[in-house]
Amino acid sequence: MFNKKKKEKQKKQQNDQQKKEAKKESKKEPISSNRYEFLQSLKEKLHSPSDLIIRYVSPTTTVIYVDNLVDISLLNEQVLKEVQNAKQGATPQDIHTNLKLPEVDVMDELNKTILEMLIGACIIHIEGFSEVVIAKISSIQSRGLSAPENESQVIGSQVGFNESIATNISLVRRYITNPDLCNEKFTLGHQTNTSLSLLYIHGIATEEQVNTVRQRITDLDIADIIDSAVLEGLIDDNSLSLFPQMLLTERPDRFCDGLLSGKVGILVNGSSMAILGPQSFIEFFQSREDQNLRWSIASFVRLLRFIAIFISIYLTPIYVATLTFHYEVIPQPLLVPLNESRAIVPFPPIIEALLLEIIIELLREAGAKLPTKVGQTIGIVGGIVIGTAAVQAGITSNILIIIVALGALSSFTTPNYMMGNAIRIIRFPIIILAGFWGYFGIMLAVCFIFTHLLRQTTLGAPYLAPFYPPRWKDWPDSIIRLPSTFLSRQGINNRNPQGNNQGENEGNNQKSEKKVTE
Amino acid sequence: MKETLHISNNQKINAFLLFFIVTATQIGVGIHGFQRVIYQDAKQDAWISVILSFLLAHIVVYIMMKTLDMYDSNDLYGIHIDIFGKYLGNFLNILYIFYCSSAFFVIVKNYTEVINTWVFPYLSSMFLCLSILSIIIYTFKGGFRVIIGICFFSFFFLLWIPPILIIPLKYSDLNYLLPILDNELKGILKGVMSMSFTIVGFEIINFVYPFLKNKTKYKRYVHLGMLFTLFLYLSIMFVSLTFFSGEQLMKTIWATLTLFGFIRLPFIERIEIITICLWMIIILPNLCLYMWAAYRGVQRMVNISVNKFLLIFSSIMFVSGIFINKRTDINLLNDWFGKYAFAVVFIYPFILFLCALLKRQIKKMQVSNSEKS
Repeated sequence: MFNKKKKEKQKKQQNDQQKKEAKKESKKEPISSNRYEFLQSLKEKLHSPSDLIIRYVSPTTTVIYVDNLVDISLLNEQVLKEVQNAKQGATPQDIHTNLKLPEVDVMDELNKTILEMLIGACIIHIEGFSEVVIAKISSIQSRGLSAPENESQVIGSQVGFNESIATNISLVRRYITNPDLCNEKFTLGHQTNTSLSLLYIHGIATEEQVNTVRQRITDLDIADIIDSAVLEGLIDDNSLSLFPQMLLTERPDRFCDGLLSGKVGILVNGSSMAILGPQSFIEFFQSREDQNLRWSIASFVRLLRFIAIFISIYLTPIYVATLTFHYEVIPQPLLVPLNESRAIVPFPPIIEALLLEIIIELLREAGAKLPTKVGQTIGIVGGIVIGTAAVQAGITSNILIIIVALGALSSFTTPNYMMGNAIRIIRFPIIILAGFWGYFGIMLAVCFIFTHLLRQTTLGAPYLAPFYPPRWKDWPDSIIRLPSTFLSRQGINNRNPQGNNQGENEGNNQKSEKKVTE
Repeated sequence: MKETLHISNNQKINAFLLFFIVTATQIGVGIHGFQRVIYQDAKQDAWISVILSFLLAHIVVYIMMKTLDMYDSNDLYGIHIDIFGKYLGNFLNILYIFYCSSAFFVIVKNYTEVINTWVFPYLSSMFLCLSILSIIIYTFKGGFRVIIGICFFSFFFLLWIPPILIIPLKYSDLNYLLPILDNELKGILKGVMSMSFTIVGFEIINFVYPFLKNKTKYKRYVHLGMLFTLFLYLSIMFVSLTFFSGEQLMKTIWATLTLFGFIRLPFIERIEIITICLWMIIILPNLCLYMWAAYRGVQRMVNISVNKFLLIFSSIMFVSGIFINKRTDINLLNDWFGKYAFAVVFIYPFILFLCALLKRQIKKMQVSNSEKS
């Protein structure tokens, strides 16, 4: 039933799109051959901005561009020189052939011309012709490449994406020199006209998943895209879920690693975060660095991370549940220190825990929003001062401080910020459940989380992939990481022979894959 | 035979998942206190009853699978209609739906009772019922694959039981088992019958069958799954028989939980409290699969949407749960359900198999007759 509704929606969207396209075509405006009329219509369209520069080179030729968007030296040396030297009566075609620039075009449509000019093209109009020459000499302002700040790693490359899509694509192409690396361009948002690139490796990425992403991008009907995180929220499978279903990364090596294992990537202009999908739940807890380490150490680190997830989600709720309802579970030697530290605390455990958790969240949020230097100080001062003071004032117990701090510390070990957020938030409902119904409440939460994760998909592939549906061959690279002879390069979620994701011919796939990889 | 169910490929599951389905459905609330019931009949030979009951179960499941194999891809409901015609077939289907629903009800009731006795004496059983129902509905709405996923994960929540049973072994006395075969055969056989409440669950393959991807090699997984449950039940039975004296065992309703109560780890005591709460994820696949089986049957008879079915089903369960709360009532319910289950699961498959054979023979004869003429 739900599917039907979706289909109807899709149909409607398709109809709308067709209508829009039809409208656009009917709006196609010709370029006036008269200089005055052309300039007039141009100014009208652009609402005569102050940075629109119109230069009358000769009585018949005009050069128009938007200030600060074009490369001035190219403009001086190539465009203006060429136009001034042009013979009387030169046609746009002549100028087009004579200009010594890599990208030159001739256009006869006003709206497209304006768009090109806004990206950074210079327009040359000649009296008497209803065509203009477009010289693309845009200058892109972008910051230099720097180390990724949010996903740092000790061993491995220290370069991150920046905000320019051209730079980012060039970075990817330097990592993967391969004719099969496909790059599809899209423009999204009728207000911003943001350009974005869909990247995948032909032959490794599953055709079905590429189609899904392509379809979802083209189906979007939105006004603006400022950052890739917005796009990620719009095109993933279930945007209502707490858990992210696609990866946002600022590391080109992680991005390329994903592409090589058959994932589909998206780069958005103006955003230093690239999108990668499909991403299963387990992969959010794997870092690129694991592959750079020896297998035994990588396995240890991964196991540590999983213990950390467990601690950060369940430790505080277990404390609350145990002290509220199930104190008979605690052995006697442990009961004494617990009792001592809780003796002067006036609140029930649930209030105590929530209070402390909220303080920790406040510290974290304040540290994240402040400039780095101040943030660190605030973290230390706030943490120590509030922590000690809270215990001395008798608001919380020592042991709870340890537990909450441990939980917060553990949630930082998640290599992905979005997943770390999810883990941090999910603790609160579980604490409340534990405070009301003890272990039973915690178990309700466990069942709910399991079911929820089982219900999720990422680009149509199961979210809990190597575990359920069980794909034994991927288990060596999940919670642990065995030496590379045991691993297959591609996760089964992105394994080719199309469509059949958990197919009967799994064995055959594996053989062919080993040849392809490494 | 002709009638088949068409299930799209992305709904189907791998055959080896049957192992997890069978263990998940067999192990449920029965494990908490099956020792007393069997001990009443078979005394110290209760463990023989356990083995015999599994032997019987293997035979039954073999017959079930034989019956299913006669049809290409059909579940029990379809087979009923094919063999017995529309009216009698539908009547049998209703009986089976009733069986699935009562299994669901019995599990919920037993679990809430255990929680009420051991963990939260004053927590309203209505709330417990409601919270369990809401989780089940959420799982159920995820579809068949999510239900099987829960089966799969719940299996790993069982694995800690065998190693932890080593601890009470310290206090156990093997002499309690002797003399072996001191009782009449009748008592042991009676114990086999009492075991039926604990052992049922594998009949779910009647409904999962059409969802299997590879129908040639699935049998071994069913048998393997049952062997795993046998191992678990037998080890618990063994430890309880040697740990408790006969008198004690007669008085202990939830012997397994009492057994867990004696276990002390350096950082945890009274692990039965944790166990009981943990048991929720172990009964969850049970409940979901029985509900799902009931839904498949209802769906065949009347055109009903999932939401409507869930609403009606869970409100029936909830309302009938209000009336049965006392220990004696639940005991009666368990006894009655055990008998019903014994009839449905252990006896009926043989009848069905014979009927199916007859039907096939008659058809063959008809075909050959028409060819002759």
